[in-house]
Amino acid sequence: MHHTFDIGGNSHAIWLSRSAEEYRLTLAEDRSAVVAFVQTRDGEGRLTVDRSSEPIAYVVEGDTVHIHLRGRSYAVRYVDPLVALAVEADTAGHHIARAPMPGVVVSVKAVVGERVVAGTVVAVIESMKLETAIRAAQDGIVETIHVTAGESFDRDAALLTLSREAS
Amino acid sequence: MIGRFSFGVVLVANRGEIAVRIIRTVQKLGLQSAVVYHEVDARSLAVTLADHAIKISGKTPVSSYLDADQIIAAALSVGAGAIHPGYGFLSENAGFARAVEAAGLVFVGPSASAIELMGDKIRARNFVARSGFPVAPSAIEEDDPGTFLDRARAVGAPLLVKPSAGGGGKGMRIVRDLAELDDAVAQARGAGQRYFGDGRLYAERFVERPRHIEVQVLGDSFGNVVHLHERECSVQRRFQKIIEETPSPVLSADLRKSICETAAGIARAAGYKNAGTVEFIYGRGEFYFLEMNTRLQVEHPVTEMTTGLDLVEQQLAVSAGHPLAFKQDDVRPSGHAIEARLYAEAPERDFAPTTGKVLALEYPKGDGVRVDSGIAQGQLVTTAFDPMLAKIIVHAPTRTEAIARASQAIEDFVLLGCETNAAFLGRILRDEGFKAGEVHTGYLDEHPRIAKGAAPDEGIQRRLLAAAALLTRPVRDAAHAVPALHASLGSWRN
Repeated sequence: MHHTFDIGGNSHAIWLSRSAEEYRLTLAEDRSAVVAFVQTRDGEGRLTVDRSSEPIAYVVEGDTVHIHLRGRSYAVRYVDPLVALAVEADTAGHHIARAPMPGVVVSVKAVVGERVVAGTVVAVIESMKLETAIRAAQDGIVETIHVTAGESFDRDAALLTLSREAS
Repeated sequence: MIGRFSFGVVLVANRGEIAVRIIRTVQKLGLQSAVVYHEVDARSLAVTLADHAIKISGKTPVSSYLDADQIIAAALSVGAGAIHPGYGFLSENAGFARAVEAAGLVFVGPSASAIELMGDKIRARNFVARSGFPVAPSAIEEDDPGTFLDRARAVGAPLLVKPSAGGGGKGMRIVRDLAELDDAVAQARGAGQRYFGDGRLYAERFVERPRHIEVQVLGDSFGNVVHLHERECSVQRRFQKIIEETPSPVLSADLRKSICETAAGIARAAGYKNAGTVEFIYGRGEFYFLEMNTRLQVEHPVTEMTTGLDLVEQQLAVSAGHPLAFKQDDVRPSGHAIEARLYAEAPERDFAPTTGKVLALEYPKGDGVRVDSGIAQGQLVTTAFDPMLAKIIVHAPTRTEAIARASQAIEDFVLLGCETNAAFLGRILRDEGFKAGEVHTGYLDEHPRIAKGAAPDEGIQRRLLAAAALLTRPVRDAAHAVPALHASLGSWRN
């Protein structure tokens, strides 16, 4: 089966298969490589891709694999297939306003059940000492408000869910 | 060492890397260290290292570190004889310095009156000018409104015209041709009235593409003042320094001598004791006094690397009433030092702050590499404080070698769990303009691609996906579940 990983906001579909002795990684357009990973000590190992081998440091945190490779750190997030499907189903009827950066909720301007048009300010957040207005991306009805004033949140946290109006 | 200090316990009224750095010197000198901390810092390195840690509280984490009464009470509770304020927080608060002394404790810093003098930018500027040192040539309208235009013309172009009551760049006009002066004055006056309800104006020489050069000074209670040479801090973003180095790649030997002696002269005129930094704007062979910071600077380690001095030790010795143990001629810096600041922010996304948990932490090692860090494995990085996590400082015989060493040290710094600006620091160090020493305070704004960077190339992406796939359980399990025959078909899809 295909799996989806996210690197810096970009999705990548991959396929990992195993034959007798090795793993084969297949990316889109059917390019594939023989891959291997051997742990050398806690949090470190050797990664081999098509016989070229190098050390990496890593930590697995929930669905995210943090990797230090060639002097840079990356976060590669596994998108659970069920979650990916749910998000797809979700976006069919809803829109979730997410936090563009970590911060604190200054005020919530909308109430559950309120009908809003695209561009309506639904919440105000503070981050980097600046206030930012979070606006509805589409017309809809406020279904759920996930945060309250004063609450802090991380990047990508869901702030508010809008349901699309039945037309 | 016994008897060298009039105090046995030094309390650090700060947090993060600077608290750790001060504690290390206090302990090295055979003294006991104490630190105050807010609950969110309970697991921090400073709290772990200090001989005494006293919890303080406040409405927000930041407000607790600004609570002078709680901090002085904490110092008294552990028998501290001195308080080191570090940088930021209460370090340039004259009221705090006075309160510390009123409580019978030593404030590790300059006198309250020196803090006050230098804390008021206009007073400081006037003091420096009166003492005969260079400030940007200027004309202040209210000195004599009738002659303002003539005096502004006499300063010459390029000229910056701004509302006296101003701030934040509002209403400022750059005049490159004096024929435009009348228009600029009318516009700036209108803007001043609109924004501040005050139309009075101020004109000063505008320095194109200015560089920020500062000089470390050190004074004792006996009137001795020395300078510890300059630091170049022109790599900035919105007045936030990112990379600092010493010596400056731009100063000639004559200019270096002149700017350093000017700084020492200003400190001497102010009767300054303890460590301080005189900041200058430099452009086209001229420098002007900008301001004086009456505290230890974030970037002080580059000076320590080239001079071999421990500035915190010097501060404590001066505060304990000792004269400086060396003269100006004894200060002979060697080699080149660079500091890079590691921030929890994403330059690639317009410098948005980042958060996370420090899951893996490994520091670069090697000759001439120093890391001043306040973070510990398992610690949460939040937006409650300044986003600086650590400083990477290197020392090498030449600037070229120092740049290479700094790049390597940044690559060897492993911090997983919270996104940082490490890759951005690497891009600055590899930038041709930086390598040629051709930077100024607006350089990063003029070259936004340095902040933006590029997405990882295909080869890197493939390796990341390979590592992630092999380290993600469901992906591995699925691979084992597929019969080898099907897997070998390769392009078979579900």
